Amino acid sequence: MRPSLPTTTPERISRGLVVVSLAVAVALVCVYLPRAVRDLGDLASNNAQLSYSDREVAAGNAIVVDQEAAYQARANIPPDATYRVATGSPVRGATDLTTPFVGAWFRSFLMPRRPAADAHWIVCYGCDVSRLGGTYVPVWHDDAGISLGRLR
Amino acid sequence: MSIHALLGLLALNLLFAAVGSAVLFAVRGWGSWSELLRLGGLAYMLGVASLATVLIAEVVVGIPLGFASILGTSAVLVVLAGVVGRRGGHGLPPLRSPLSLPRITWVAAVGAVLAVVYLEAAFRAARLAGLYEFDAWDFWVPKAKAIYFFGGFDEQFFRELINQSYPPAVPVLEAAAFHFMGAADVVTLHVQFWFFFAGFLAALVGLLSRRVPAVFLWVPLTLLLATPYLGPHFIQPTADFLVDELFVLAALLLALWLLDREDWKLGAVAVLLAGVALTKREGYVFAASALLAAGVVTFPERRAAWPRLAAVGVAAVVATIPWRVLLSVRDLSGGGPEAGGTGLFANADRAWPSLRLALTTLFDFDTWLLVAPLLLLAVAAAFVAGERVLAGYAALLLVFALAAFTYATWAFPSLGISTNPALNPIIRLTGEVVLLAAALTPLLLARAWRRSA
Repeated sequence: MRPSLPTTTPERISRGLVVVSLAVAVALVCVYLPRAVRDLGDLASNNAQLSYSDREVAAGNAIVVDQEAAYQARANIPPDATYRVATGSPVRGATDLTTPFVGAWFRSFLMPRRPAADAHWIVCYGCDVSRLGGTYVPVWHDDAGISLGRLR
Repeated sequence: MSIHALLGLLALNLLFAAVGSAVLFAVRGWGSWSELLRLGGLAYMLGVASLATVLIAEVVVGIPLGFASILGTSAVLVVLAGVVGRRGGHGLPPLRSPLSLPRITWVAAVGAVLAVVYLEAAFRAARLAGLYEFDAWDFWVPKAKAIYFFGGFDEQFFRELINQSYPPAVPVLEAAAFHFMGAADVVTLHVQFWFFFAGFLAALVGLLSRRVPAVFLWVPLTLLLATPYLGPHFIQPTADFLVDELFVLAALLLALWLLDREDWKLGAVAVLLAGVALTKREGYVFAASALLAAGVVTFPERRAAWPRLAAVGVAAVVATIPWRVLLSVRDLSGGGPEAGGTGLFANADRAWPSLRLALTTLFDFDTWLLVAPLLLLAVAAAFVAGERVLAGYAALLLVFALAAFTYATWAFPSLGISTNPALNPIIRLTGEVVLLAAALTPLLLARAWRRSA
């Protein structure tokens, strides 16, 4: 880039715009690129401090209330079985996201298990067990009102 | 979350690069190994687009996606591309030919070091990232898991998961990543999106480094990396940044074609735009906007230019036919706007707020710094310097993008007039222009500088 001096007004305007663009961009890079790198570093540090389960459950931590429910469901429900998530009265520690999104979150987490309306495996979030359509036999439950079981 | 998973991803991305190198050989050929190295980023992105396009067609016709089908498809693509390249008169350079590296200026060296530092930080952030983005855990990754576990577009999950009509390139690529990692590892999956972005940057550098002085290339590129929104988001396993990356490379190749009329670039554009249209619904709009902008500025040479541009558009649309057929056969939602056509008149009161939202988001300093205003300055500089075709093309792309962003809010009354990502995807949409700026600003500034010399 060996510039010769511009001679006409449009050339001067054009060169001026180029120089201003580069100057502003360089100033922004000097200030904001270190910040961007530092923010990424902070994000990496925060991610590294999480436990394996916190990292795997991730968004589910704001939904499922108890990670143990998710892991118990994955451990007990066979991969080729079907299940359903039944919600009812709010469980202890529930967030605004629990009832609307708990079914969607389990659908992803429990794959390849398939959700089905008539499934015998039940992930029960404060559900009314008398309305599940059979005799509910819990295989796991916690103190918040979440349980996992199957219908007989 | 293991070395095994990372090595698996590395292998998959080397496969993308190998397939893309063959595609590049078919459309262009390589004069030397150092030329292939320089265009390695473009080759990689061509590999991503072409492999995704073919794998989608295979899954639609019932060929299960798995390790064998990915490797087999790649082998077939490499052989076919090799035959096409040979027939096109391209030959391989001698294996023992020396690798001549270009002289690197200190500006380029500083820019490259800054980019590497940034990418290293992003890699660490991606390696252990959890799945927090709503769209990622709610439907993009579940679709990928369904393909991984069941081998195809599972009837139940692809009906029950929301956004049925969203094109499946990202779920297919994510499922391929799961196969190569050996498990549905939704944490390490973020690294795949790091690879996409790194490939995009390498492609930009490879395409522009011979055409523009280093200062015009690396300053806008590092400015892109400095934008606050980019870092934490391009590693998310969603389609938003991948569609931008593929589109921006296609738009840049079109810009270069406008300058030199080398037709191999149109072949590459067709492959990339097919990937764009199969990645997100707005990909159709993006692709149409680039071809339309190129069509407008080539009006004086329309007899020669327009059939070529039309052929590119047709090729990109043809690539989406298998997916559209599947949507139709299964009677799934086609994904049209909630209030398109006359619905726009019924929602006329949303027009101005939608445009204002698009403008304020694109020019929001806390999100994108001054990337868009600097693109405007570069367009003005090129226009004043007499570089009318390139400036006109960039200006039209900007206008079409703003129109598309406005339409995206206006035609979907369920979206709030808000930058809250839970209510409106406008921030993610405007990423298209911001990435575009990193590609076109260097070219515009360099041409303006040279013209006014």
